[in-house]
Amino acid sequence: MLNVQAITKLYGDRLILDDISFSIQAGEIVGLVGENGAGKSTMLQLLATLSNPTKGNIFLDDLSYQKHKKNIRKQIGFVPQDIALWEEFTVEENMVFFEKLSWKNKTKQQLKQLCLDMELDKWQEPVNTLSGGMKRKLNLAISLIHDPKVLLLDEPTVGIDLKSRKEIGNYLKRQALEYNKIIVYTSHDMDEIITLCDRILCIGEDPFYKNILNETEKNIITF
Amino acid sequence: MKSIIQTRLIHWKKQWLSLLFWLIFPIIASLLIINVTSLIQEDSKIPVGFVLEENTPMAEALLESVKDSPLIRVFEVTENQARDMIERHELDSAFIIKDGYEQQIHRGNRNKLITSYKSDLSFAYTPVSEMVVSYVQEDAGKAKAAHTVMHLAETLKTSEAVTFDEIISLSEEIQSREDLLRTTFSFNHGPSNGNDADITIWNVWGLWAIFSILSTLLLFDWVIKERNSSLVSRFSFIRFSYKSYLLQNLIFYTAVLLFVDSTAALVFHLHVGETINFRLVGAIISFRFICSMAAFLLALLFKNVYLFYGVSFAITLFLAINSGAVLPIEGLTGRFEWLEYLNPLHPFLHQEIWNSWLIILILILGIWFAKGGKLNA
Repeated sequence: MLNVQAITKLYGDRLILDDISFSIQAGEIVGLVGENGAGKSTMLQLLATLSNPTKGNIFLDDLSYQKHKKNIRKQIGFVPQDIALWEEFTVEENMVFFEKLSWKNKTKQQLKQLCLDMELDKWQEPVNTLSGGMKRKLNLAISLIHDPKVLLLDEPTVGIDLKSRKEIGNYLKRQALEYNKIIVYTSHDMDEIITLCDRILCIGEDPFYKNILNETEKNIITF
Repeated sequence: MKSIIQTRLIHWKKQWLSLLFWLIFPIIASLLIINVTSLIQEDSKIPVGFVLEENTPMAEALLESVKDSPLIRVFEVTENQARDMIERHELDSAFIIKDGYEQQIHRGNRNKLITSYKSDLSFAYTPVSEMVVSYVQEDAGKAKAAHTVMHLAETLKTSEAVTFDEIISLSEEIQSREDLLRTTFSFNHGPSNGNDADITIWNVWGLWAIFSILSTLLLFDWVIKERNSSLVSRFSFIRFSYKSYLLQNLIFYTAVLLFVDSTAALVFHLHVGETINFRLVGAIISFRFICSMAAFLLALLFKNVYLFYGVSFAITLFLAINSGAVLPIEGLTGRFEWLEYLNPLHPFLHQEIWNSWLIILILILGIWFAKGGKLNA
């Protein structure tokens, strides 16, 4: 379980997140929505240990983020918003490159299967020749090499076609359901969030998001 | 480290051509300059024609003595060829060793032994003729001395009879053994070269060091390229901190460059006759550490790779000038000795292993690694 306890984040004098608490169970997919600048990315950075809260603490199972940062990181898969790949490498080379630096060793066959599971079959193709959807899938696959418990995705489907979005969405659902992974997902696409997520965390004051979410039957938490 | 090597090899597979070029560039460029300047030196020798009208040992020895001069290129021709070539200004001058040269020398005759030709454009006739005359005088002097010894032996009626050839060969032996005056030319702190014919105007290790600095700087552009990429965020979730990843890559690069440096030492030994000794090996290792660490730390300061390339060329040019390889700076370094110590080439060219640059760079690298920061996981 991921447990966020009374988190406050200040950048200088600017208050970004104010006393936020929530918890996410294993196997749950949680969407993080809000207008630009509301603090979605900041929250994701905090959950990914890339930034420290000004106040409060976060726990993964019984491990405190403050005290066990290195151990926590071993259990986190972070999918950055930018496509973080070696563009001149093939899919295989990208996977092998990050496997060599990863916490867990995997065979080439296992890496290939990981790609095939999300319908990424262009194993020998250089990344710079792949479609946007394929690149996004590879971006996700690399973050899963070390079998993380928690998967944090920062707008992972931005700028890709509907088919690839569906494939990524289905894959994430399987990951949560079959492997009990905690998945936190940010997106501006409300339809995608509503379809994919079990719960939705809405950050910020913009009534636009709250009004849309009020029409759904999802469990919504607003901050 | 094994993982770092494997990941670096994936990178190198994609850029093997440029990598190979910059790795061997210092060796190739140094040898090219040495060979081209040697060729130019060869072409700039004074062309002088020699006509041998007799093939006696003394005449041939005279020709060999002239050939040994580092400033003269000898063409063996006939008298007619020599005249034609002088008319076409292909020869500066020509000398004919007349028939009966050895006999005349034996008789102690020193007049009209050699005939010479020159043209109105023969700028080097006087020094060359002086040189030839000095060799003939030497032969005549030896002959006269031999005749004097033989005459003494005959007058004093010694038991051992000595021949002319024995006296000449003994005098040559004594001459070579007790070389009264010998001067060799070499650059300050450069390798001493006993053979005047092999003089080169460049110090091969000096050239290599300058090209090595440039190639090392350009090889380390990976630091900027990889730090600029969006991939940096992934390094928070791998086994190594990003700093550790960079540092291990620096070590691997340095090891590969050291291997290439040892190849350079071997190539220079085989092609230019440079001696390999422990001091040289130590100096190369020290220089390599300095170059790699400096290139790495410099690259860390840049975000724009093209700006880094520009600065790399500027630094190389500055060090080349400061080392005296391009312009003589003895006057300047004589007044400001500290200028020499600022130059990392200085200790290398003096084959010094320990120097202030090595210690300073190790300290800076240590501080960089120990200092916390965004890049440290």
